[in-house]
Amino acid sequence: MTTAAISIRSLTHRYGPTTALDGLTLHIPEGEIFGLLGHNGAGKTTTVSILTTLLKATSGTASVAGHDVREASHQVRRSIGYLPENVSFYDDLTTMENLTFFARLSGLRRPEARIGEVLEFVGFTGHDRERVGTFSKGMRQRVGLAQALIHQPAVLFLDEPTSGLDPEGVKALRELILRVNADWGTTIFMNTHLLSEVTKTCTSIGILRSGRLVHHGTLADTVGAFPTDDALERAYFAAGTTTS
Amino acid sequence: MSTILTAARHELLASVRAKAPYALVAAFLGMVAASTFIGWRTSVTVTSIYDQVLADGLTTQPNPFTDVSPLYYVRNTVIYVLLIGSLMAATLGVQSALRDRKAETAALIGTRPVDGRALRAGRLLGLGLLLAALVGITQIITWISVSALVGGPLSASETLAIAGFGVITWLLLIGFAGIGVLSGRLLRRERTALLAPVVAWAVIAFVIPQLGTAARPVSLLNPVPLPAQDSGAFSWLSQVLSPLAITEHFKTASAALLESSSTGSPLASALIVALFACLALAAAVLIRADRTTGGTHE
Amino acid sequence: MNETLTLARKELLDLRHDRIVWIVLGTLGVAVVLSVIVASLDYRAQLADYEAYVAQVTASGSGVTPAAPQLFPLTLLRGGMEYVEVLAALFALMIGYGAIAKERSRGTVDLLLTRARSGTSIVMGKLAGLAVLWAAIMAAIVVIALASVAMIGGATIGLHEVARVALAGVAGWVYVLFWSAVAVAVTTLTRNSTGALLTLLVAWLVVVLVIPQIGDTMDPDNQVPGGLFKALAIAKTDEHAVLDHFTAYESARNGLEVSSISKLYERFTFATLGIKDTYNGQSLAFIWDGTFRYVYGALAFTAAALTLAAASGRRIHTLRRS
Repeated sequence: MTTAAISIRSLTHRYGPTTALDGLTLHIPEGEIFGLLGHNGAGKTTTVSILTTLLKATSGTASVAGHDVREASHQVRRSIGYLPENVSFYDDLTTMENLTFFARLSGLRRPEARIGEVLEFVGFTGHDRERVGTFSKGMRQRVGLAQALIHQPAVLFLDEPTSGLDPEGVKALRELILRVNADWGTTIFMNTHLLSEVTKTCTSIGILRSGRLVHHGTLADTVGAFPTDDALERAYFAAGTTTS
Repeated sequence: MSTILTAARHELLASVRAKAPYALVAAFLGMVAASTFIGWRTSVTVTSIYDQVLADGLTTQPNPFTDVSPLYYVRNTVIYVLLIGSLMAATLGVQSALRDRKAETAALIGTRPVDGRALRAGRLLGLGLLLAALVGITQIITWISVSALVGGPLSASETLAIAGFGVITWLLLIGFAGIGVLSGRLLRRERTALLAPVVAWAVIAFVIPQLGTAARPVSLLNPVPLPAQDSGAFSWLSQVLSPLAITEHFKTASAALLESSSTGSPLASALIVALFACLALAAAVLIRADRTTGGTHE
Repeated sequence: MNETLTLARKELLDLRHDRIVWIVLGTLGVAVVLSVIVASLDYRAQLADYEAYVAQVTASGSGVTPAAPQLFPLTLLRGGMEYVEVLAALFALMIGYGAIAKERSRGTVDLLLTRARSGTSIVMGKLAGLAVLWAAIMAAIVVIALASVAMIGGATIGLHEVARVALAGVAGWVYVLFWSAVAVAVTTLTRNSTGALLTLLVAWLVVVLVIPQIGDTMDPDNQVPGGLFKALAIAKTDEHAVLDHFTAYESARNGLEVSSISKLYERFTFATLGIKDTYNGQSLAFIWDGTFRYVYGALAFTAAALTLAAASGRRIHTLRRS
């Protein structure tokens, strides 16, 4: 039996009178690439923010890599990597200086060798002495992935990772995500609203609608229910209107 | 400890790379360099005036500038420290506090296994080192320029007095840097985050001494202490507000170190400046502000 | 012209929701009132000292009574005017900066550029809005100043006082218009908002505080607590005769001071309100004779700043998001 990398029970979060997340329960086994789908404002970013300890849930519990996000946030942070939607860095500092800072904050004493290794893994060698402020969105995304992987986390959170990238950038990032999962066995939790990305990357999916999980299953099962070219799109729109 | 050192190193690197506050730093260093010359030029003129007055037979009083210490020339530096230095320190503090919000890196830091207080303490340590370096440069400039004006190196005791002035300067600056950090963390817009410590500085430098001494605001920027108004309500107000008149205490402690005319107790004044620095630093480290995300723009 | 008015109106609508306007008005108002309170208490303390001294003189049987300290009510505004000189300039910079910087951060400059005739009309429209706002703030300060002199200082306010304080208010308005134009020009011409903000802070520091401070600290009379000439027991007439030997030094010192618009504003205001002894109780014609150079100087500075702001409009594309 596989252990859960992420375990969520009755998670609810409210911003004032607005309920962003409504009783979310979800278990994601180790080694999965999980895609959380949903419309804008469905609660995807709120979910990731709670799981990455950036936000405290109004009620419910969640654990990541076996640690409770509320009670053991320090241990959770040791186990996770996070790539926000619009990853930003200290523009006046170089790639190496930025990554050294984040690596040290993650507890790495002498991170230089590891930084070189990760930059090579994400295909971003030769830019380590350049200032991040001069980089394109695609280049930043690679540095962003490097900072998220620098301490070899057990679980990697990606918030709309392909947003704003050109087709080449999307393809390159997708390949990197698959390699992280295949080579290092990292569990990946990915927020997206691009159905095509999910079909090409994820092993299981969840669909959020107005804060409620209306579908959860493997990609094969979800797509299998609609044996057409636009299977996932049909599944997405059907979710919540039929029993999932 | 590792978080503190990492944050301090990052603070130093990021502060040096950010070019926006360079103009303020240049104004500070430039005016400190110029102040010795201004002090010297003025005292030469005053001595000439005295000679003229004496020649015209208008006075029998002794020259008030006979046998003044070479450190007399430094007294304008005291004003530039409290005028430009403290605003520079507050600005560096604001920029330090806003850095993560402006760079939008708060989420990357928030997901790291670090203690927020250690991170804040480390940043203040970095800021403190940066300010110490700047103060060190001003002290070297001062030592060289005064030595050049008096035609020889300053004595050990004069050098020690300049070093002591450096310490009290650093305490004042780090206190204002702490106020800047707090403002940057608590306020949303960069404009208001910068405006708040300037207004706080104006209250400390102008309003409080004005209430305690009836001195006019701008005259408080003259290095010569004003005769205090000690009757009626002022005597009471002055006692109550005295601990808050940080810049006046800085002037008193510095004047004693630099052998200028001084009012009040220099040791108590130095302790008040040190207490101000400690309180501002403690508040900047301990007060938790959750305004870590969102832009700083208008 | 219509376009400029539309932009000015929009700027005022924007500012109506900006808390900083109320903070500015509150701070300046409190500073003026506080200064009048302090000056009144100071005057009362002087009066008490005088009365005690007179009692002592009478008790000793001496027939000579010294002159009582005189109160010219508008001199109570000295501290308040200094606060306006220092703080209103800073506030004008911050509000002027905000007027331009918000277009950059909201990304709305493209929308303006596709509608307005030119960048210059956008900038001047904003400045027109700021001018109206500051006229309202200065009018409020004039009312607060007069009310506090009457209510706290216990002075009778007549047409003479109203005219002079209003004149000081107009001078203050021209002064803040200068700083608003500087803020608008620098923010428009600087690519980086933080860079613009810190450049403005340095400009304020140098022009408002450092230059006048250098002039003040180089004044020979300011070298000894209580005054050099007083310490040497030299009469006022002799003081002038002595200083005539140092005209080069005094000219350099004066030149430095009048290179700051803040000092020009201060000299004119202090003369108008009779804060400077020479102008106390004098007619407006006399004051004009002594201060017209400062008025022309301040107007020239303001005209230059407005011209720079108008010219900066041509570079308004620097505000566009890349």
